[in-house]
Amino acid sequence: MIPDAVALQTTGAIARLLINGLQAGAIYILLAVGLSIILGTLKFVNFAHGALYIIGAYLGLIIAQDPSFGGKLAEWGFGDIGLGFGYLAALVVVPLVVFVIGVLMERFVARPFYDRPDTDQILLTYGIALILTELFRVLFGGASRSIDQPPWARGSATGVPVLGDALTALGINAVSTWRIVIILLTAVLVGIVFVLIEYTDFGLTVRAGTVDAEMVELLGVKLSRPYLVVFGIGAALAGVAGLVGGPLVNFNPDYGATILVPAFLTVVVGGVGSIRGAVIAGLSFGLIQAGLVQFGFSEWAQVGIYAVAAVVLLVRPQGLLGQEVAA
Amino acid sequence: MSDETRRADDTGTVDETGTGLAGGDLLTRWRSVKERESFVILGTVVAVLLFPYLFARAPVVSEILQGYQSLAELMLIWGIFVIGFDLLHGYTGLLSFGHAAFWGGGAYAAGVFAIHVSGSPIAMILVGTTFAVLLAWVLGFLSLRRGGIYFAILTLAFAQMLFYVALQPLSNLTGGDNGLGIGGSTIEPLLGFIPLDAGVPVITMFVDTWMYMLIGIAMVVTVAFAYRVLNSPYGMVFRAIRENEQRAEFVGLNVWRYKLMSFVLSGAIAGLAGSLFAIQQARVPVESLFWTTSGEVVIMSVIGGVGSLFGGPIGAALYLYISNIVQGMSEVVLFTQIDKLFPGAQAVVLPEWASPAPYWHLILGLLFVLVVVFIPRGGIWGGLQSIGSRIGSRFGGDR
Amino acid sequence: MASTDATESEERTTDASDTDRSEATAPPEEYDGPLLQTDGLVKRFGGLTATDDVNLDIEQGERVSLIGPNGAGKSTIINLITRRLDPTEGDIRFKGQSILGLNPHEVVQRGMSKSFQQASIFPTLTVRQNARVAALAAEHGSFRFNFFRHRDRFSEVEGVARETLEAVGLWDQRESPAEDLPYGDKRRLEIGIALAADPDMLLMDEPTAGMSPEETHATVDLIEEVKEERGLTFLLVEHDMEIVFRVSDRIVVLNRGSVIAEGPPEEIRENPDVQDAYLGGVEL
Repeated sequence: MIPDAVALQTTGAIARLLINGLQAGAIYILLAVGLSIILGTLKFVNFAHGALYIIGAYLGLIIAQDPSFGGKLAEWGFGDIGLGFGYLAALVVVPLVVFVIGVLMERFVARPFYDRPDTDQILLTYGIALILTELFRVLFGGASRSIDQPPWARGSATGVPVLGDALTALGINAVSTWRIVIILLTAVLVGIVFVLIEYTDFGLTVRAGTVDAEMVELLGVKLSRPYLVVFGIGAALAGVAGLVGGPLVNFNPDYGATILVPAFLTVVVGGVGSIRGAVIAGLSFGLIQAGLVQFGFSEWAQVGIYAVAAVVLLVRPQGLLGQEVAA
Repeated sequence: MSDETRRADDTGTVDETGTGLAGGDLLTRWRSVKERESFVILGTVVAVLLFPYLFARAPVVSEILQGYQSLAELMLIWGIFVIGFDLLHGYTGLLSFGHAAFWGGGAYAAGVFAIHVSGSPIAMILVGTTFAVLLAWVLGFLSLRRGGIYFAILTLAFAQMLFYVALQPLSNLTGGDNGLGIGGSTIEPLLGFIPLDAGVPVITMFVDTWMYMLIGIAMVVTVAFAYRVLNSPYGMVFRAIRENEQRAEFVGLNVWRYKLMSFVLSGAIAGLAGSLFAIQQARVPVESLFWTTSGEVVIMSVIGGVGSLFGGPIGAALYLYISNIVQGMSEVVLFTQIDKLFPGAQAVVLPEWASPAPYWHLILGLLFVLVVVFIPRGGIWGGLQSIGSRIGSRFGGDR
Repeated sequence: MASTDATESEERTTDASDTDRSEATAPPEEYDGPLLQTDGLVKRFGGLTATDDVNLDIEQGERVSLIGPNGAGKSTIINLITRRLDPTEGDIRFKGQSILGLNPHEVVQRGMSKSFQQASIFPTLTVRQNARVAALAAEHGSFRFNFFRHRDRFSEVEGVARETLEAVGLWDQRESPAEDLPYGDKRRLEIGIALAADPDMLLMDEPTAGMSPEETHATVDLIEEVKEERGLTFLLVEHDMEIVFRVSDRIVVLNRGSVIAEGPPEEIRENPDVQDAYLGGVEL
C-alpha cells in the first residue's frame, strides 16, 4: 500500500534525523557537560578543554591501534609507539588518564588562579591550550588522523539482533552501528555524572559549594578535594569525546580549537552549571545541524547553531536552564 | 596622564621634585613634554619612518635581525589591530575573543569592494572600516548583554559564526575555503596616480614604497586617534568601568553605552587594520575570520603590555618576528657580524637539533603563559617602563 | 550620529547648560512635597516576603535612618530604591515622579546618589581621577558623544572634583592611587564619589562599617558638615546606634520586612515594641 510506504519513509526520515542529530549532539554534550560543571562549581573557564579532546583522541589512537606518526617522534625513532590493544582498552584507559590530567590541571593551573580576575583565567588556559596543541604538533606532526571504528561496531546496525529489528520497524535500513554506540555511550556516561552530582553526598557538597563556597567551608567541609574530582570528571568526559569523535571526524592538533567554540556555545545556551541544560542544548545543536544537512542546506549547518544560539541568548541571556543573573 | 602635566603647576602644595637637583627639574620637564599629544604623535612619526630602515636595510642591525620590508609592513598593520583591541581589553577591561570578525570583516569588505566597485585604496579603507563599525555595533549589542567570561565566549561564538558564513553560504562572494583573491592589479594607485609599489621620493631609503607610507600614515592616525580618545572623558570612563563597573553605574554613568562605544571604536580600528591587510596582501585568507586570529591579537596584546598604547605594536612586532623569522631559521648562526667588531672572531653555528624553527609556536605559547602568570598587566612595555623609571629615579630622586 | 543616539537621560541634560545639571533634573519648581516616597512597597523572593507594604515619606532636607535587626529587609529596600531590584508591588516616587522603569544610572542622574557598604572605589585610578569620574557623570549626564575632545577642556568637571575632595579632606592625597589609601580614607573617598555626583539625596549603606572609632567620628562629622553646607537629604542604614541617634531627625524601624515604628530618636528609644524587636538586650 502506498500510504504505508510513504508513512514508513517519513518515519524513516525522522528516525534518521534523530540518530544523526543525537550522534552529532553527543560530542557537544560530552564536551559541554564537563565544561559546564567546571564552570558552574569552580567558576573556572577552561579554554584548554578542546586540548583535552585532542589528548583523548591521540591517546586513544595510540592505545587502540598501531599508527605511525610523523613529527619529532619519528625523527627520534619513536614513530611507531602504537600499542594496538584495541578500542575497548582505549575506552577504559583514556578516561582514567585524562581524569588524572584534569586533576593535575586543577591543582597546578586552576587553583593558583582562583583569586585572579576571570580574564586572567581565560588567558592562562588559552596559553596552555596553545602549548598543548604545539606539543602535539611537534611530537606527532600536523597531519590529520582518525581512529578506526572497532570491528564489532562496523557495518549497519540493522544487522544487530533486536536493535536491528527495531530500526527496521522504524523504516531505517542503513545506519552505522557506531553511531548507535556513541549515542548509548554518551547517554550512560552523562547519566552517571548526572546521578553523581544530583543524588550523592559528593554531589550535594559540590552543589552547595556552587551556591556558597564560603559557607560550606565554614561548616567544616573541605572543598578542595571535590573540586579536584569535578575537574577530573569534566576532563575525562572531554577525553572520551575525543575518543568517540575520533572515528567520525578527522582530527589534527588544531582541531581542539575548532571544537572548543561549539562546546562553549552549548554551555552558555544550556545555562552554566546545568547538566540538563547542556544536554538539551547539545541535542538541539545536533538536531539543527542534522536537519539542515538532511534537507539540503548543508552549507548552513554550522551557521545554524550559532544563529539559534544568538536568538536564545537574546531572549534568555542566562541560557535555557541557567539561574537568573544580575546583568 | 595629563595629571603629570598639571602637577607642575601645583607648586606649593605637593612638590616632590623641586627639592634641589637640577636633574630633577629637567626630568620633570621631560616628563611633562612626553605626555603631550604633539610629542606622542611626533614620536610615532619618527618611529614609523625609522623602523623599516633599521629593520630591513640598515647595515649590521638589519642583517642580524634578518628583517625585510614586507614584514615591517605586516608588523605595522597588526600593530594597528592590537591598538584597537587594547582599547577594549586594556582600558575598558572587556576581553574579546571575537576581534577576528572586525579584522576579517574589514578585510573582506575592502576586498569585495575592490573587486566589484573600485580598487582605490582610500575607498577600500573607508569601506572596510565602516563595515567593521556596523558589525561591531551589532555584535556589541549582542555580546555586551553579559559581562566577564560570558562576554569572551559570546564574542568568540558570534565571530566564529561569521567565519562559517564566509566559508560556505557566501563562498560566491568570499571565495570560501580558498580565500578571496583580490589581485595586485585590481588595487588602483593611491589617489589615482601613485602606484603603491613605487618608491617614495627623497625618503625612499627610509620607507621604501608608498605601500609602507600608506600603512605608516594609518598607524600615526591610529595612535593620534587612540591617544585622543583615551584623553577624552571616554578614556576616564573606560578605566572607571574596568576598575569598578557597579560604581561607575552608581555615579550615574550609562555603563552599557560606554561599553558599546568602546567596542565600536575598537572594532573600527581593527577594521582599518583588516582593510590595510587586504590591500597589502592583495588577498584575504578565510582564516582571517577564524577565532585563532582573535587569539593571535590577544597574545600580541598581552605580550606587549595590556593597557598601554605602545605595548601593543611592540607585542605585534615580536609575535610576527618569532612567527616569520624564527620559523625560517633552519640553521642558527650566532654572532654573524662579530668579525667586524673583533677581527678574526668566528661566527657560531648551532647544531641542527638546536634549531628553534619547529618550536616557534611553542616559544610564543610559553612566552605568553609566562607573561600571563607573572606580569599580566605589564608585558614587555611595562617591563621597559619600569626599567626606565628606575633609571629615572636614580637621576631624579625618589618619586 | 549623536542625535539619533540620544537616550531619555541624555535628553534631560542636553537642553540644559553644561555646567548646571541640577536645572535639568530638578523637580518642577512648585514641587515641595516629600523628596522620596514609597507607596505600599512589596518585594517577594519566592515564598519569602523581604519587604512588606512599606510606606516611607522622606521630606527635603530630612535625615532619616533605617534600622532593624539583621534580615529585617534594610538592604532590600535600598536595592529597590536604587533600582537594582524590581518591586513585586507598590511604587517609588522621587521628587514626585515614579522611578519604576528607570535604570539605576538614571535614578542617580535624577539626583539620588548612593554610598556603598564596602569602599566601592576605582582602585588604580588616583584619588583625583576617582572624583573626576563622578563629577563627569554629574556634569555631562549619563552619556555623551564626545570621545574626541580632550578632557583638559572640561574645567567645570575639574572644579567639582576639587571641591569634593576638599570637602572630604582628601585633596592633599589627590595624586595617590585610591587603593593605597588607608581604609577610613577609602570610605571617605567613597562618600566623596557619591557627593561629586551632586545629589539631592544621599543613600548611605552603613557608612561607618569596619571603621575605627576615630574614623567613625570623622565620618559622622563629615555627614553633619555636608548636611549643613549642602542641605542634603539623607537616608542612612546603620548598625551603630550612637551614630543613628546622633545624626537622625527621624528613625524608621524595620522588622521582618515591615515598618514597626517610626519617629524622632527619643521616641524610638522609648518605644517598647522597638526594644522588644530589636534593641531588646542587644545593643542598648
